[in-house]
Amino acid sequence: MVKIKNPRDLETLRVKIQRERKKIHSTIIMCGGTGCQASQSLAVIDAVKNQIDRQGLQKNVHVRATGCHGFCEQGPIMVIEPENLFYCHVSAKDAQEIVSKTLLKGEIIERFLYVDPVTGKKIRTEAEIPFYKNQDRQLLAYSKLVDPKSIDDYIATGGYEALAKTLMGIAPEDVIEEVRASGLRGRGGGGFPTGRKWFECWEAPGDEKYVICNADEGDPGAYMDRCLLEANPHLVIEGMMIGAWAVGARQGYIYVRHEYPLAVRHARYAIHQMREYGLLGDNILGSSFSFDIEVARGGGAFVCGESTALMASIEGKVGEPRPKDIHTVKEGLWDKPTVLNNVETWANVPSIMLKGSKWFASKGTKGSKGTKIFALTGQVKNTGLVEVAMGTTLNEIVFTIGGGSKTGKAVKAVQTGGPSGGCLPVGKFDLPVDFDALTKAGSMMGSGGMVVMDEGTCMVDVAKYFLTFLQDESCGKCVPCRLGVDRMLEIVTDITEGNGRPEHIGLLEELAETVREGSLCALGKTAPNPVLSTLHYFFDEYVAHVEKKRCPAGVCKSLISYTIDPEKCEGCGICIRACPHNAVKGEKEKTHIINLLECRKCGICIAECKFDAIMVG
Amino acid sequence: MLQYVTLTIDGSRIRAAKGTSVLDAAIEYGICIPHLCHVPSLSDIGACRLCIVEHVRNGSSNVTTSCTLRVQEGMVIRTNTEKIVKLRRNIAELLVAEAPNSRAVQDIAVRCGVKEVRYPFRNNNCIQCGRCVRYCNQYWRANVLGFVGRGKDRHVDYPIGTRPDFCKNCGACTLYCPMSVTPCEGPMKRGEEHLCGKCESQLSMSASLPGACVRCDLGKGFQCARHA
Amino acid sequence: MSTTSLNVVLKGRRSQPHQLIEVLQDIQDLYGYIPADAMKTVAQELGVPLIEVYRVACFYKAFSLKPRGEHVITVCTGTACHVRGSTLLLDQIQGQLRIQPGHTTDDGLFTLECVNCVGACALGPIIAHNGMYEHHMTPGKLRKIIGDVYVTKKEESRHG
Repeated sequence: MVKIKNPRDLETLRVKIQRERKKIHSTIIMCGGTGCQASQSLAVIDAVKNQIDRQGLQKNVHVRATGCHGFCEQGPIMVIEPENLFYCHVSAKDAQEIVSKTLLKGEIIERFLYVDPVTGKKIRTEAEIPFYKNQDRQLLAYSKLVDPKSIDDYIATGGYEALAKTLMGIAPEDVIEEVRASGLRGRGGGGFPTGRKWFECWEAPGDEKYVICNADEGDPGAYMDRCLLEANPHLVIEGMMIGAWAVGARQGYIYVRHEYPLAVRHARYAIHQMREYGLLGDNILGSSFSFDIEVARGGGAFVCGESTALMASIEGKVGEPRPKDIHTVKEGLWDKPTVLNNVETWANVPSIMLKGSKWFASKGTKGSKGTKIFALTGQVKNTGLVEVAMGTTLNEIVFTIGGGSKTGKAVKAVQTGGPSGGCLPVGKFDLPVDFDALTKAGSMMGSGGMVVMDEGTCMVDVAKYFLTFLQDESCGKCVPCRLGVDRMLEIVTDITEGNGRPEHIGLLEELAETVREGSLCALGKTAPNPVLSTLHYFFDEYVAHVEKKRCPAGVCKSLISYTIDPEKCEGCGICIRACPHNAVKGEKEKTHIINLLECRKCGICIAECKFDAIMVG
Repeated sequence: MLQYVTLTIDGSRIRAAKGTSVLDAAIEYGICIPHLCHVPSLSDIGACRLCIVEHVRNGSSNVTTSCTLRVQEGMVIRTNTEKIVKLRRNIAELLVAEAPNSRAVQDIAVRCGVKEVRYPFRNNNCIQCGRCVRYCNQYWRANVLGFVGRGKDRHVDYPIGTRPDFCKNCGACTLYCPMSVTPCEGPMKRGEEHLCGKCESQLSMSASLPGACVRCDLGKGFQCARHA
Repeated sequence: MSTTSLNVVLKGRRSQPHQLIEVLQDIQDLYGYIPADAMKTVAQELGVPLIEVYRVACFYKAFSLKPRGEHVITVCTGTACHVRGSTLLLDQIQGQLRIQPGHTTDDGLFTLECVNCVGACALGPIIAHNGMYEHHMTPGKLRKIIGDVYVTKKEESRHG
């Protein structure tokens, strides 16, 4: 393998690859990310490749298997260039038809076209799809352009140009100044100014320093980092190398959570390919910069997204956080100065070095610059990854891009920031999304998770859900988190079971303050947020549970009962068979009856009934 | 050669050696900040959160544990603000509600001003202060005990659940365990848990002299600096 | 438990305490759980106290100290899946197989696990069946998957 020994080699290679690519007529891009893989996209990719070979089209048609595009519910996804034709829900058996008709004859197959759920119209090209059109896909655009297993793809699109530019003439202090001027803030949720973090590590004494990429992404409902790392690991690594040059580190780690095996594989493969080209090791691109990097896998612990716990995990220990009276930029991994940044933060760095801090700062709001990727999920029509400029309102994201409610029930709230964040009611959707506006309103932007909830969601149940999550994931070391979160959960559970008392509300608030101020780490400190935000904005639901012993959304099992509507029941027996607790009895074609003593309100009968005959009250 | 710094705790200017924790510096000068998991000669982990203080900097204050905070020149510390007193009381309330069957824990609750317990009592026989684990691993280097599990499941255990033959039977784990101090009226059985609150002397002292040592029984036998 | 495969896992990692988690991950992949003997060997070879190995094995969800069933069903309980009804799936399994998360059926056929988000949120509710993701899960589909396993087992024992 030819080694890239200096920037000129890189440029030569880039031109060579681009020239070769010009010969290609058509490119079939197919998504091989985790989401589409769950929809069997790998089988589609194989089938298409077979067809291309069988029909002898290899010379003119290039098949590119990419990482996640962020529109997972439409998968398996296929984009055909240069026409920018967009096909969705493609299966392996369709391969032959697509190759013969669309590729060879230019015929569009209607049934694969995307149908806009809001207008009902079919859309041909990817660029016209409102979900994509209304975004500003600075980072996500790469998903389509590169095969994560091909370093050549990355180089062809301008990869490592930023690194070359940096190593060839920008001093570390100037790199730090550029990042500072861009206004880039940590994308993992904390929003700490990246330039300042790098500066504090740079000025820390010692010549053994580290850079770490936090790909733990523990927030349930968030998968932006998974997508970035699966689709374009090189972009993240390039950002890390620029950072390492800036602070004086020679070793980097990408800490990937255990539940992302594909991201681990793609990152490791990218590193392997970089080594082959000589882009890792000593004197990279002929400069004085030496750097190496490895992937460390998590073991399945949300708390390891916290920086000190993450570093303990890399050191092979239990992921228990330590007090941060001394910051990790001074004493971090193995007590050495360490810069830990989120995947998306690192991914933004190369473009800042290439296009300049002014370009980056031209987007966004006063305190939050650039674009941010959000994972829009839940009861919304268009679920997927949304990248927009900071300052875009919740209305735009949930309704314009997301298409509004999926279920027919009105949108009630949006939960942002994962277990550290909070819920905002639909009346607050005119708020701009950035680091500060949502925090002021009592929630938090967090790492980007955005779960849309409709009228069928009980907000007290949401608070209980997050407390259960945090109780499970708490490391257990400090009293306020271990015992405080547990007691908060005890109280909220009592409320959902009809045992709530008026004094519980005041006690919840006082407990919340204790947990927030007294906990050792950010997991504990932000644990009260879901409770506090739902108490603030959905107080009437708490009142209904405590005073009237009612669950308005019809969710809390102890406060509802299931009955069969004799007007609607057709006596088909589906619910009798579906019930795992044998609580339904009845004869064929006669109204069935639910035994309220046996019924556990699991909701399976409602999900299976075709006549909507089961009532919740 | 020891280097010294001057810091202010509750308005008093104090000189302490660099590397000392704020908690040690305070106790040395007679300002007793309540603490539970701190033991001299063992590392401080900041687990019980009772020793919290306000670290005042640039007009704002940060709540942090004094056992893990190292003294610095010009540092300003407040140990008894209204906020800290309330937080400490709530934390002690959580502790006594969890494990009331110990005189040491009941003393701490009284010392921190707990007057009522608003949660249903439990009868846990471990508060996870980590004294046993740290004595075993750091002092005796036997590596017999450790915190196993996460969150609610976290508990002190032997390797793979069985007491190994390299346990030296030194007894430190039971000797220094706060739960081994029986309540004055005898052990509290399940259903009998309550807030004792009987130590009149300590109650009145802690209210009138915040910061002064009330010679709580947590110090006796636990090598508190005040019990030489 | 073969010493050769354990040797392969330990190769190049001896006396390196920070490799503990990677080593345990490989052992978990190899045996489906972490046997007590393996923990003792790892402690010795890596130079880590046995209590530390045990602590790490118990702390992280990726590791199981008990052998798992032939079919591991992992239900995603992340927020997006929860809002779309992942609790129904847990109810279905608990009703059909009578096991709680983290446990295995008496016949050793099924283990139920929960995971706090696999990152395929747009396709929820998600379950993983021996690592293979199945999306848009419903209690009905799940009942069929479990039922099919029993049917296949019955046929195998008939022809076996």
